[in-house]
Amino acid sequence: MGGVWHTAWRRLFFCGWHSFHRGSTARPAERVEPFLRPEWNGIGGAERGLRLLGTWKRCNLGARDPAVQPSRRPKSSNPFRRAQEEEWRRRNKTALTYVAAVAVGMLGVSYAAVPLYRLYCQTTGLGGSVVAGHASDQIENMVPVKDRIIKVTFNADVHASLQWNFRPQQTEIFVVPGETALAFYKAKNPTDKPVIGISTYNVVPFEAGQYFNKIQCFCFEEQRLNPQEEVDMPVFFYIDPEFAEDPRMIKREAGEPQSSRKKRKNCQPGVHGQPVI
Amino acid sequence: MSTAMNFGTKSFQPRPPEKGSFPLDHFGECKSFKEKFMKCLHDNYFENALCRNESKEYLECRMERKLMLQEPLEKLGFGDLIGGKSEAKK
Repeated sequence: MGGVWHTAWRRLFFCGWHSFHRGSTARPAERVEPFLRPEWNGIGGAERGLRLLGTWKRCNLGARDPAVQPSRRPKSSNPFRRAQEEEWRRRNKTALTYVAAVAVGMLGVSYAAVPLYRLYCQTTGLGGSVVAGHASDQIENMVPVKDRIIKVTFNADVHASLQWNFRPQQTEIFVVPGETALAFYKAKNPTDKPVIGISTYNVVPFEAGQYFNKIQCFCFEEQRLNPQEEVDMPVFFYIDPEFAEDPRMIKREAGEPQSSRKKRKNCQPGVHGQPVI
Repeated sequence: MSTAMNFGTKSFQPRPPEKGSFPLDHFGECKSFKEKFMKCLHDNYFENALCRNESKEYLECRMERKLMLQEPLEKLGFGDLIGGKSEAKK
Protein backbone atom coordinates (compact mmCIF):
# COMPACT_ATOMS: atom_id res chain seq x y z
CA MET A 1 0.00 0.00 0.00
CA GLY A 2 2.84 2.22 0.79
CA GLY A 3 4.21 1.69 -2.66
CA VAL A 4 0.97 2.80 -4.23
CA TRP A 5 0.87 5.95 -2.21
CA HIS A 6 4.39 6.61 -3.10
CA THR A 7 3.56 6.35 -6.74
CA ALA A 8 0.64 8.71 -6.42
CA TRP A 9 2.68 11.31 -4.71
CA ARG A 10 5.24 11.14 -7.42
CA ARG A 11 2.67 11.50 -10.15
CA LEU A 12 1.10 14.50 -8.48
CA PHE A 13 4.44 16.05 -8.05
CA PHE A 14 5.18 15.70 -11.69
CA CYS A 15 1.87 17.18 -12.75
CA GLY A 16 2.31 20.22 -10.63
CA TRP A 17 5.79 20.73 -11.78
CA HIS A 18 4.75 20.48 -15.38
CA SER A 19 2.16 23.19 -15.11
CA PHE A 20 4.51 25.65 -13.46
CA HIS A 21 7.33 25.15 -15.80
CA ARG A 22 5.56 25.54 -19.07
CA GLY A 23 8.55 26.58 -21.01
CA SER A 24 10.37 23.46 -20.12
CA THR A 25 11.31 21.33 -22.98
CA ALA A 26 11.40 18.27 -20.86
CA ARG A 27 8.91 15.75 -22.03
CA PRO A 28 6.79 14.58 -19.16
CA ALA A 29 6.11 11.30 -20.89
CA GLU A 30 9.74 10.42 -20.61
CA ARG A 31 9.70 11.26 -16.97
CA VAL A 32 6.62 9.30 -16.17
CA GLU A 33 7.43 6.37 -18.30
CA PRO A 34 9.55 4.57 -15.77
CA PHE A 35 6.62 4.70 -13.38
CA LEU A 36 4.41 3.08 -15.88
CA ARG A 37 6.64 0.16 -16.50
CA PRO A 38 5.08 -3.00 -15.24
CA GLU A 39 8.15 -3.95 -13.21
CA TRP A 40 7.84 -0.87 -11.10
CA ASN A 41 5.14 -2.15 -8.86
CA GLY A 42 3.57 -5.20 -10.32
CA ILE A 43 1.66 -5.37 -13.56
CA GLY A 44 -0.52 -2.29 -14.03
CA GLY A 45 -0.06 -1.50 -10.38
CA ALA A 46 0.79 2.10 -10.88
CA GLU A 47 -2.21 2.73 -13.01
CA ARG A 48 -4.49 0.91 -10.69
CA GLY A 49 -3.30 2.77 -7.72
CA LEU A 50 -3.60 6.18 -9.29
CA ARG A 51 -6.99 5.46 -10.64
CA LEU A 52 -8.14 4.69 -7.16
CA LEU A 53 -6.97 8.06 -6.03
CA GLY A 54 -8.77 9.78 -8.86
CA THR A 55 -5.76 11.67 -10.07
CA TRP A 56 -5.39 9.77 -13.28
CA LYS A 57 -7.47 12.00 -15.45
CA ARG A 58 -5.88 15.24 -14.37
CA CYS A 59 -2.37 14.06 -14.89
CA ASN A 60 -3.22 12.49 -18.14
CA LEU A 61 -3.10 15.88 -19.81
CA GLY A 62 0.50 16.39 -19.04
CA ALA A 63 1.53 12.80 -19.40
CA ARG A 64 0.54 12.37 -22.98
CA ASP A 65 2.75 13.09 -25.91
CA PRO A 66 1.90 16.60 -27.11
CA ALA A 67 2.58 15.52 -30.69
CA VAL A 68 -0.80 13.73 -30.65
CA GLN A 69 -3.59 16.05 -31.85
CA PRO A 70 -4.85 17.72 -28.70
CA SER A 71 -8.36 18.36 -30.01
CA ARG A 72 -9.30 14.79 -30.74
CA ARG A 73 -8.37 12.80 -27.72
CA PRO A 74 -10.53 9.68 -27.50
CA LYS A 75 -12.24 9.26 -24.24
CA SER A 76 -10.89 5.78 -23.64
CA SER A 77 -7.81 3.91 -24.49
CA ASN A 78 -9.56 0.63 -25.19
CA PRO A 79 -9.09 0.19 -28.97
CA PHE A 80 -12.46 -1.46 -29.52
CA ARG A 81 -14.29 1.26 -27.70
CA ARG A 82 -12.31 3.82 -29.59
CA ALA A 83 -13.29 2.28 -32.90
CA GLN A 84 -16.89 2.27 -31.78
CA GLU A 85 -16.73 5.91 -30.81
CA GLU A 86 -15.19 6.73 -34.16
CA GLU A 87 -18.04 4.92 -35.83
CA TRP A 88 -20.60 6.83 -33.78
CA ARG A 89 -18.90 10.08 -34.58
CA ARG A 90 -18.96 9.31 -38.29
CA ARG A 91 -22.60 8.33 -38.15
CA ASN A 92 -23.48 11.48 -36.27
CA LYS A 93 -21.73 13.52 -38.88
CA THR A 94 -23.65 11.95 -41.76
CA ALA A 95 -26.91 12.32 -39.90
CA LEU A 96 -26.14 15.96 -39.25
CA THR A 97 -25.35 16.51 -42.92
CA TYR A 98 -28.67 14.98 -43.92
CA VAL A 99 -30.59 17.09 -41.44
CA ALA A 100 -28.84 20.25 -42.61
CA ALA A 101 -29.60 19.37 -46.23
CA VAL A 102 -33.28 18.84 -45.40
CA ALA A 103 -33.44 22.16 -43.59
CA VAL A 104 -31.91 24.01 -46.51
CA GLY A 105 -34.23 22.17 -48.88
CA MET A 106 -37.26 23.22 -46.86
CA LEU A 107 -36.13 26.82 -46.93
CA GLY A 108 -35.74 26.65 -50.70
CA VAL A 109 -39.17 25.09 -51.13
CA SER A 110 -40.79 27.79 -49.04
CA TYR A 111 -39.25 30.42 -51.26
CA ALA A 112 -40.24 28.62 -54.43
CA ALA A 113 -43.78 28.11 -53.18
CA VAL A 114 -44.86 31.66 -53.92
CA PRO A 115 -44.44 31.68 -57.70
CA LEU A 116 -45.47 28.05 -57.92
CA TYR A 117 -48.74 28.78 -56.15
CA ARG A 118 -49.40 31.71 -58.37
CA LEU A 119 -48.90 29.50 -61.43
CA TYR A 120 -51.23 26.93 -59.96
CA CYS A 121 -53.90 29.52 -59.27
CA GLN A 122 -53.66 30.87 -62.76
CA THR A 123 -54.13 27.52 -64.35
CA THR A 124 -56.90 26.30 -62.10
CA GLY A 125 -58.46 29.63 -61.23
CA LEU A 126 -59.05 28.71 -57.62
CA GLY A 127 -59.40 31.27 -54.87
CA GLY A 128 -60.74 33.98 -57.11
CA SER A 129 -57.35 35.10 -58.22
CA VAL A 130 -56.64 36.82 -61.48
CA VAL A 131 -56.86 34.45 -64.41
CA ALA A 132 -54.57 35.32 -67.27
CA GLY A 133 -56.47 35.74 -70.48
CA HIS A 134 -58.86 38.56 -69.64
CA ALA A 135 -57.63 40.56 -72.54
CA SER A 136 -59.59 42.83 -74.79
CA ASP A 137 -59.74 40.13 -77.46
CA GLN A 138 -61.89 38.19 -75.10
CA ILE A 139 -64.36 41.04 -75.01
CA GLU A 140 -64.29 41.18 -78.76
CA ASN A 141 -65.08 37.54 -79.18
CA MET A 142 -67.41 36.83 -76.37
CA VAL A 143 -70.91 35.76 -77.15
CA PRO A 144 -73.73 36.85 -74.86
CA VAL A 145 -75.56 34.04 -73.14
CA LYS A 146 -79.04 35.31 -73.71
CA ASP A 147 -80.95 32.89 -71.51
CA ARG A 148 -79.26 33.77 -68.22
CA ILE A 149 -80.56 37.14 -67.16
CA ILE A 150 -78.78 38.55 -64.16
CA LYS A 151 -79.99 41.39 -62.04
CA VAL A 152 -77.22 43.64 -60.89
CA THR A 153 -78.07 46.04 -58.11
CA PHE A 154 -75.99 49.04 -57.29
CA ASN A 155 -75.17 50.45 -53.93
CA ALA A 156 -73.06 53.32 -52.75
CA ASP A 157 -71.52 54.12 -49.43
CA VAL A 158 -69.67 57.16 -48.33
CA HIS A 159 -67.29 57.48 -45.46
CA ALA A 160 -68.65 59.64 -42.67
CA SER A 161 -66.02 62.32 -42.97
CA LEU A 162 -66.45 62.72 -46.71
CA GLN A 163 -69.12 65.30 -47.43
CA TRP A 164 -69.98 64.18 -50.91
CA ASN A 165 -73.43 63.12 -51.97
CA PHE A 166 -72.73 59.91 -53.74
CA ARG A 167 -75.42 57.66 -55.13
CA PRO A 168 -76.10 55.33 -58.05
CA GLN A 169 -78.35 56.62 -60.80
CA GLN A 170 -80.08 53.30 -61.27
CA THR A 171 -80.86 50.87 -58.53
CA GLU A 172 -80.61 47.81 -60.72
CA ILE A 173 -79.90 46.70 -64.22
CA PHE A 174 -80.59 43.45 -66.05
CA VAL A 175 -77.69 42.05 -67.99
CA VAL A 176 -76.68 38.75 -69.49
CA PRO A 177 -73.20 37.24 -69.27
CA GLY A 178 -71.00 38.26 -72.17
CA GLU A 179 -72.63 41.60 -72.74
CA THR A 180 -70.98 44.89 -71.89
CA ALA A 181 -73.05 47.25 -69.84
CA LEU A 182 -72.88 50.82 -68.66
CA ALA A 183 -74.04 52.17 -65.31
CA PHE A 184 -73.83 55.58 -63.71
CA TYR A 185 -73.18 57.01 -60.31
CA LYS A 186 -73.62 60.61 -59.42
CA ALA A 187 -71.47 62.58 -57.02
CA LYS A 188 -72.01 66.09 -55.76
CA ASN A 189 -69.83 68.24 -53.61
CA PRO A 190 -72.13 70.44 -51.55
CA THR A 191 -69.34 72.20 -49.67
CA ASP A 192 -67.47 75.37 -50.57
CA LYS A 193 -64.08 73.74 -50.70
CA PRO A 194 -62.66 71.34 -53.26
CA VAL A 195 -62.65 67.84 -51.90
CA ILE A 196 -60.69 64.89 -53.17
CA GLY A 197 -62.12 61.44 -52.83
CA ILE A 198 -61.12 57.97 -53.84
CA SER A 199 -63.35 55.02 -54.23
CA THR A 200 -63.16 51.31 -54.27
CA TYR A 201 -65.65 48.62 -54.98
CA ASN A 202 -66.60 45.15 -54.08
CA VAL A 203 -69.07 42.65 -55.36
CA VAL A 204 -71.28 40.36 -53.37
CA PRO A 205 -71.69 37.41 -53.42
CA PHE A 206 -68.04 36.55 -53.45
CA GLU A 207 -68.22 33.67 -55.91
CA ALA A 208 -70.05 35.77 -58.46
CA GLY A 209 -67.58 38.57 -57.98
CA GLN A 210 -64.93 36.62 -59.79
CA TYR A 211 -66.91 36.94 -63.00
CA PHE A 212 -67.52 40.63 -62.66
CA ASN A 213 -65.01 42.45 -64.83
CA LYS A 214 -64.74 46.16 -65.03
CA ILE A 215 -63.50 47.53 -68.29
CA GLN A 216 -63.34 51.06 -67.06
CA CYS A 217 -64.68 52.88 -64.06
CA PHE A 218 -63.88 55.68 -61.69
CA CYS A 219 -62.32 53.67 -58.88
CA PHE A 220 -58.85 53.56 -57.41
CA GLU A 221 -57.89 57.00 -58.55
CA GLU A 222 -58.28 60.23 -56.69
CA GLN A 223 -61.07 62.34 -58.03
CA ARG A 224 -61.34 65.97 -57.22
CA LEU A 225 -64.64 67.77 -57.05
CA ASN A 226 -64.79 71.54 -57.07
CA PRO A 227 -67.20 73.35 -54.78
CA GLN A 228 -70.84 72.74 -55.67
CA GLU A 229 -69.86 70.51 -58.55
CA GLU A 230 -71.87 67.54 -59.66
CA VAL A 231 -70.53 64.87 -61.98
CA ASP A 232 -71.69 61.64 -63.54
CA MET A 233 -69.43 58.70 -62.98
CA PRO A 234 -69.76 55.80 -65.35
CA VAL A 235 -68.92 52.17 -64.77
CA PHE A 236 -68.39 50.07 -67.86
CA PHE A 237 -68.40 46.38 -67.07
CA TYR A 238 -69.38 42.93 -68.21
CA ILE A 239 -69.99 39.56 -66.68
CA ASP A 240 -67.80 36.78 -67.91
CA PRO A 241 -69.68 34.31 -70.12
CA GLU A 242 -68.13 31.49 -68.14
CA PHE A 243 -70.50 32.47 -65.39
CA ALA A 244 -73.14 30.46 -67.17
CA GLU A 245 -71.00 27.38 -67.09
CA ASP A 246 -69.99 27.46 -63.49
CA PRO A 247 -72.01 24.82 -61.68
CA ARG A 248 -71.88 26.80 -58.49
CA MET A 249 -73.60 29.72 -60.17
CA ILE A 250 -76.77 27.93 -61.14
CA LYS A 251 -78.77 29.44 -58.38
CA ARG A 252 -77.26 32.88 -58.49
CA GLU A 253 -79.28 35.39 -60.32
CA ALA A 254 -78.34 38.57 -58.63
CA GLY A 255 -75.05 40.23 -58.12
CA GLU A 256 -74.46 43.47 -56.40
CA PRO A 257 -71.57 45.74 -57.04
CA GLN A 258 -71.07 48.37 -54.45
CA SER A 259 -68.99 51.44 -54.59
CA SER A 260 -67.65 53.04 -51.50
CA ARG A 261 -66.05 56.41 -51.27
CA LYS A 262 -63.45 57.36 -48.84
CA LYS A 263 -62.11 60.79 -48.32
CA ARG A 264 -58.69 62.05 -49.05
CA LYS A 265 -57.89 65.56 -48.14
CA ASN A 266 -54.39 66.89 -47.79
CA CYS A 267 -53.11 63.43 -48.46
CA GLN A 268 -54.59 61.97 -45.35
CA PRO A 269 -55.68 58.47 -46.11
CA GLY A 270 -59.30 57.81 -45.42
CA VAL A 271 -60.92 54.73 -44.09
CA HIS A 272 -62.71 52.38 -46.39
CA GLY A 273 -66.44 52.79 -46.12
CA GLN A 274 -68.51 49.97 -44.76
CA PRO A 275 -70.21 48.07 -47.55
CA VAL A 276 -73.79 47.13 -47.06
CA ILE A 277 -74.51 43.45 -47.26
CA MET B 1 -68.62 40.98 -45.70
CA SER B 2 -65.12 41.74 -46.82
CA THR B 3 -64.36 43.51 -43.56
CA ALA B 4 -65.08 40.46 -41.40
CA MET B 5 -61.74 39.25 -40.16
CA ASN B 6 -62.32 35.55 -40.52
CA PHE B 7 -59.37 33.39 -41.28
CA GLY B 8 -61.44 30.75 -42.93
CA THR B 9 -63.37 32.86 -45.39
CA LYS B 10 -61.85 34.23 -48.51
CA SER B 11 -62.00 37.95 -48.74
CA PHE B 12 -62.91 39.82 -51.87
CA GLN B 13 -59.95 41.24 -53.73
CA PRO B 14 -60.92 44.25 -55.79
CA ARG B 15 -59.29 44.17 -59.16
CA PRO B 16 -58.32 47.35 -60.96
CA PRO B 17 -60.27 48.01 -64.13
CA GLU B 18 -58.76 46.79 -67.34
CA LYS B 19 -58.55 50.13 -69.04
CA GLY B 20 -58.02 52.20 -65.96
CA SER B 21 -60.14 55.00 -64.70
CA PHE B 22 -62.52 57.36 -66.50
CA PRO B 23 -61.46 60.96 -66.13
CA LEU B 24 -64.21 63.03 -64.61
CA ASP B 25 -66.51 64.86 -66.96
CA HIS B 26 -66.26 68.17 -65.15
CA PHE B 27 -67.92 70.21 -67.86
CA GLY B 28 -70.78 67.83 -68.54
CA GLU B 29 -69.87 67.50 -72.18
CA CYS B 30 -71.49 64.13 -72.55
CA LYS B 31 -74.35 64.78 -70.23
CA SER B 32 -76.98 64.73 -72.95
CA PHE B 33 -75.88 61.29 -74.03
CA LYS B 34 -76.05 60.10 -70.50
CA GLU B 35 -79.55 61.49 -70.09
CA LYS B 36 -80.63 59.68 -73.24
CA PHE B 37 -79.19 56.46 -71.93
CA MET B 38 -80.84 56.79 -68.52
CA LYS B 39 -84.17 57.57 -70.12
CA CYS B 40 -83.87 54.50 -72.32
CA LEU B 41 -83.11 52.38 -69.26
CA HIS B 42 -86.09 53.76 -67.37
CA ASP B 43 -88.38 53.11 -70.29
CA ASN B 44 -87.20 49.57 -70.81
CA TYR B 45 -87.34 48.53 -67.16
CA PHE B 46 -83.60 48.67 -66.79
CA GLU B 47 -82.90 46.07 -69.41
CA ASN B 48 -79.40 46.70 -70.62
CA ALA B 49 -79.67 44.78 -73.88
CA LEU B 50 -82.20 47.25 -75.29
CA CYS B 51 -80.13 50.33 -74.57
CA ARG B 52 -76.82 49.31 -75.97
CA ASN B 53 -76.96 51.85 -78.77
CA GLU B 54 -77.24 54.66 -76.29
CA SER B 55 -74.35 53.37 -74.23
CA LYS B 56 -72.28 53.08 -77.39
CA GLU B 57 -73.06 56.69 -78.23
CA TYR B 58 -72.09 57.82 -74.77
CA LEU B 59 -68.75 56.11 -75.03
CA GLU B 60 -68.17 57.56 -78.47
CA CYS B 61 -68.87 61.02 -77.07
CA ARG B 62 -66.27 60.43 -74.38
CA MET B 63 -63.73 59.28 -76.89
CA GLU B 64 -64.29 62.36 -79.06
CA ARG B 65 -63.86 64.71 -76.11
CA LYS B 66 -60.70 62.95 -74.99
CA LEU B 67 -62.39 61.75 -71.84
CA MET B 68 -61.60 58.21 -72.80
CA LEU B 69 -58.89 56.52 -74.77
CA GLN B 70 -59.79 55.84 -78.38
CA GLU B 71 -60.67 52.20 -78.81
CA PRO B 72 -62.24 50.35 -81.70
CA LEU B 73 -65.79 49.57 -80.73
CA GLU B 74 -65.37 45.86 -81.28
CA LYS B 75 -62.98 45.79 -78.38
CA LEU B 76 -65.67 47.27 -76.18
CA GLY B 77 -68.16 44.61 -77.06
CA PHE B 78 -70.17 46.59 -79.59
CA GLY B 79 -69.15 44.56 -82.61
CA ASP B 80 -72.72 43.64 -83.50
CA LEU B 81 -73.87 47.25 -83.42
CA ILE B 82 -71.22 48.61 -85.72
CA GLY B 83 -72.37 46.64 -88.72
CA GLY B 84 -75.90 47.98 -88.32
CA LYS B 85 -74.72 51.56 -88.02
CA SER B 86 -72.50 51.45 -91.08
CA GLU B 87 -75.39 50.07 -93.09
CA ALA B 88 -77.63 52.89 -91.87
CA LYS B 89 -75.01 55.43 -92.90
CA LYS B 90 -74.91 54.03 -96.42
